[in-house]
Amino acid sequence: MANEVRKDLKYTETHEWLKLAGKNAKVGITDHAQSELTDIVFVELPAVGKVVKKGDELCVVESVKSVSEVYAPISGKITNVNKKLEDKPETINTSPYDDGWLVEIEVDNKAEINALLDAESYKKIA
Amino acid sequence: MLNYGYCISQPGKIMVSRSPLYELQKKLGARFTEFAGFEMPIQYSSIIDEHLTVRKSVGLFDVSHMSNVWISGKDAMKLLSLATVADATKVSEKQSQYTVILKEDGTIIDDTIFMNLGDKYMMIPNAGMNTIVTKWLNDQAKKHKLAAKAEDVSKDFVILAIQGPKSRETLQKLTDLDLNSVKFFGCEYAEIAGVKCVISHTGYTGELGFELQINPTKKAEIVFNKILEAGKEFGIKPIGLGARDTLRLEKCFMLAGNEFHGGRTPLEATLGWTINWEHDFIGKDALLKQKEKGGFERITCLQCVEKGVPRHGCEIQREGKSVGIVTSGTLSPCLNVGIAMGYVHPDFRQEGSILDIMVRDRPMKAKVVKPPFVPKDWAQTN
Repeated sequence: MANEVRKDLKYTETHEWLKLAGKNAKVGITDHAQSELTDIVFVELPAVGKVVKKGDELCVVESVKSVSEVYAPISGKITNVNKKLEDKPETINTSPYDDGWLVEIEVDNKAEINALLDAESYKKIA
Repeated sequence: MLNYGYCISQPGKIMVSRSPLYELQKKLGARFTEFAGFEMPIQYSSIIDEHLTVRKSVGLFDVSHMSNVWISGKDAMKLLSLATVADATKVSEKQSQYTVILKEDGTIIDDTIFMNLGDKYMMIPNAGMNTIVTKWLNDQAKKHKLAAKAEDVSKDFVILAIQGPKSRETLQKLTDLDLNSVKFFGCEYAEIAGVKCVISHTGYTGELGFELQINPTKKAEIVFNKILEAGKEFGIKPIGLGARDTLRLEKCFMLAGNEFHGGRTPLEATLGWTINWEHDFIGKDALLKQKEKGGFERITCLQCVEKGVPRHGCEIQREGKSVGIVTSGTLSPCLNVGIAMGYVHPDFRQEGSILDIMVRDRPMKAKVVKPPFVPKDWAQTN
C-alpha cells in the first residue's frame, strides 16, 4: 500500500498535508489517505475568497462508496483551488502531493503551521 | 476525514460473523467491511477496477453472507406458492425463480430466489434475513396446515458467484457438466473442482454468471482457488461487495436493505413483473387494493446530468418541492456519471423529466431514465 510521507510537508492527524510557499500554503490529502479511500471520483471545491478557520470543512472528497470531509489545517482565506480536479479527481490518487493538491490558503497565523505534525510524527499514524 | 464505510442501512444487526474464506481473502489483499452482521471483503484492488473486470471478463465473489434455507415436505410447493408472489407449480425441477415474500399488508419481507432441486427447494434470502424468513415460512406452514418445513442452513454453506462474459469458459474447465445446458435461471446439483455443490445460472451483476452453493464449507477454499486458477488466462480477480453494489445498481437491481427499507410493496418497488396474479398468495388482497387506488410512489431511475454523486437518503425535489428520496446512489464506473434509484411521486417520474437530487443542500440535476443504466452489450461496445 502506498504510504509516502514527504519530509518537506506538514501534516494533520486527519490526513491533510500543507506546504508553505511565501505567504500562501498549499493543502492536499496524504498518500495514506488517498490509498485508503481509493478511486476518488468527485471533489467538491470551495469558492475562492472564502475564509476558513482551522478545523473547518474545507472541501469534500468522494470515492465510489464514501464521502469524506477534508478539514482546513490552518485558518485563512482561500486564494486558489485546483480546478483540474473537477474533471480529473483521480489525480489525487496518482499524485496526492503534487498535481493532486486541493486549495491554496493565505496564511493568517504562522503559529498554526508550527503546531502541525512534522513528517516523523505523521509517519507514526499513517 | 477518511470515511470508507459502506453507506447502507442494515436489516437487523446481529453479532459479526466471518466467511470461512476470511483468512484466504485477507491474504489476497481484501479490505473488509461489516454488512448485515458479516465482515466481508468490500474491495481488493479498487471498486472501479473490480467492476470493469466483471463487465469485461470475469470476477469471483464470496457472497456467503446471503442465507440458505432448505424447504422440504410434500407441501413445499404449496408453501412457496402461498408465501411468495410466484406460482411454484410453474417452476419445474432444475429451475429457479426470483420472487418476493410479503406480509399480509403487501409489504416486502425479503426478495429471494428459490431453486427447485427435485427432492427439495433451496431458498436464498438476503444477508441477516435467515431467521426471520425461516420462522415466517414455518409459521405460515403451520397456520395453513401444510406439510412443509423450512430449515435455516446458512452456516452450512459458502456461496460463490462467478460473474462476467468469461465466467462460463472459466467454470467449464472445472466440471464435466455441460454448462451450456444450464439455462438462465437453471439450477442443479453438480460437481465443481471435485466438490459437490448446487450450481445455478444466476447472479446480481447483469452479466453472464453462475452461483455455487458449497457444503461442507471447508471445501470452499479449494473451489475458490481452483476458479481463480482457471480464470487466470482471462484476468480473473476476486471481487468485493463494493463492486457488487455498483454492478447491481447499474442494472437497477434492488438491494433489500435500501430499496425495501421501511415497508415497501412490490408495486412500489417496480417488481410487479414478478407477481403471478393467477394464484393466491399472502399479501395479494393488499396489492390489489393498492393497484386499484394507484397514486403511489415508485422506484425511479435517475441519471445525473451534472457532476456529483447521489447517495442513499438524498432528497429528490422538483422546483424546490420534495417529490421523492434516493434509496441507492453511486458513481457509475461504466458511464462515469452519478446514478441513483429512488422512490418518486407518480406525477414526476416520466422518462426524460429533470429532477433535483439534493446533495449537501445543493440541487444536482438528474434525468429520469428507463432501466437499466448500463445495457447488456456495454462491454462489447466500449
